[in-house]
Amino acid sequence: MSNYFYVSPEQLTKDRAEFAQKGIARGRSIVGAIFDKGVVLVAENPSASLNKISEVYDRIAFAGVGKYNEFDRLREAGIRWADGTGYTYSRDDVDARALANYYAQYLGDMFTEGQKPLEVEILIAQLGGKLRPTKLYRIAYEGTISDEPHFVVLGGDAETIKERFAASAPELESLAATLRHAVAALAGPERTIPVSELEVGVLEDRGARRTFRRLRDDEVSGLLG
Amino acid sequence: MGLPLFRAHDDPGPSFVAFAERQGLVRTGEAADVDVHATTVVALRYASGVVMVGDRQATGNYIASRDVRKIEAADHFTGLAISGSAARGIELLRLTQLSFEHYEKMTDSSLSLEGKANYLSPIIQRNNLSSPLLVLPLLAGWDHNAEQGRVFEYDGAGGCYERSDFATIGSGSPFADGALRLGYRADLDLESALELGALALYEAGDNDPATGGPDFVRRIFPMMVVIDAGGFRELSSDEVERRFQVISERRAESRGVAGGSLR
Repeated sequence: MSNYFYVSPEQLTKDRAEFAQKGIARGRSIVGAIFDKGVVLVAENPSASLNKISEVYDRIAFAGVGKYNEFDRLREAGIRWADGTGYTYSRDDVDARALANYYAQYLGDMFTEGQKPLEVEILIAQLGGKLRPTKLYRIAYEGTISDEPHFVVLGGDAETIKERFAASAPELESLAATLRHAVAALAGPERTIPVSELEVGVLEDRGARRTFRRLRDDEVSGLLG
Repeated sequence: MGLPLFRAHDDPGPSFVAFAERQGLVRTGEAADVDVHATTVVALRYASGVVMVGDRQATGNYIASRDVRKIEAADHFTGLAISGSAARGIELLRLTQLSFEHYEKMTDSSLSLEGKANYLSPIIQRNNLSSPLLVLPLLAGWDHNAEQGRVFEYDGAGGCYERSDFATIGSGSPFADGALRLGYRADLDLESALELGALALYEAGDNDPATGGPDFVRRIFPMMVVIDAGGFRELSSDEVERRFQVISERRAESRGVAGGSLR
């Protein structure tokens, strides 16, 4: 005979949220910020090959924190969704908001119905153009989606980093200044992060269809000065 | 379309075609209603890359279009040309471009040139075995590993063959081939390769009713493309016109006779 114990929805949600938060807090954080000509994504990532930041489509980038296998699967699904949608309709019809909503629904479903909630937080960045504005969508582990006007911090230490970045960069700046402030916010006052442990991706118009670009270590050190 | 998530054991990987077939985005075996074919495209290797030249005419029972682009950049270092059914060919171009980009985004690395060439084989095979509308591509590009330009041609069953010198596709092939066979040398420089490619296309346009030669009236000229270590680059209309003007003037002087030499 099996025993079933009643667990209130409040308790269940709380337990699951704690579990997910704990998992996410174990990893390093990411800052995504809009600068005067585009969007920059900065991750503290000791691995040079296991990426946290990725191109999704012509004007869309992805960043994820938490469990690598979980957010990488979401990254792949996002690329497939974008390429499939653009192939079926037109490249112009691929909208970051639609993708962010799919992620939100999936994470929400997994949070309530899954064996365990996913221990990830996702950022979908869209570079604005004629059709759409520049946007940063943050999707939390339980499916909450928020549309941030200037910058987003993902990861365990988000609140502190958020305060540091907001204090140092109250408005849009150049790429170099934004990157400098993002790295300083990630590191905090006592620490410096070596350039080799930074992963930086940029969405910026350079006359080509694809706007995503990874910055090499020497470019990052050049910008940091 | 919902979020396409897969379990590890049935994940289609970075292949867009594998994914698209799973989702029902790609259909095979349906006959399209337009059958516009006939073409000439040549690709030839030179010392530090490859040159591609292709005509612009789409021919059915009459000339359907005079400014078709039959050569496209499949990615920054790869050119892809099509012959056969226009509907199928354009679909193949679109699918190929997307597939290479898809792979690059999924894996954060580019396919090797050989990988790109092999990727097309089963697609061509499936198309040509299941549809009466044949399409045959020609793939040429810069190989980063081998540090040289390489040319691949295909047969109707999807077989992929690398050519060490040059390859041609389309109904004008025999004439283009003749010019290339006589004029080709292993150590061609870029300028001579462009000149020979243009001459081969001129010959095809002159002899094959379904290949469009240089059209000085409408100022529509064949496409000329160079792919080297710097990537895919299309020559401007003026640059192309200049090269065909030279050939055309020479031919006018000799009253249409090639003159027993490559002119």
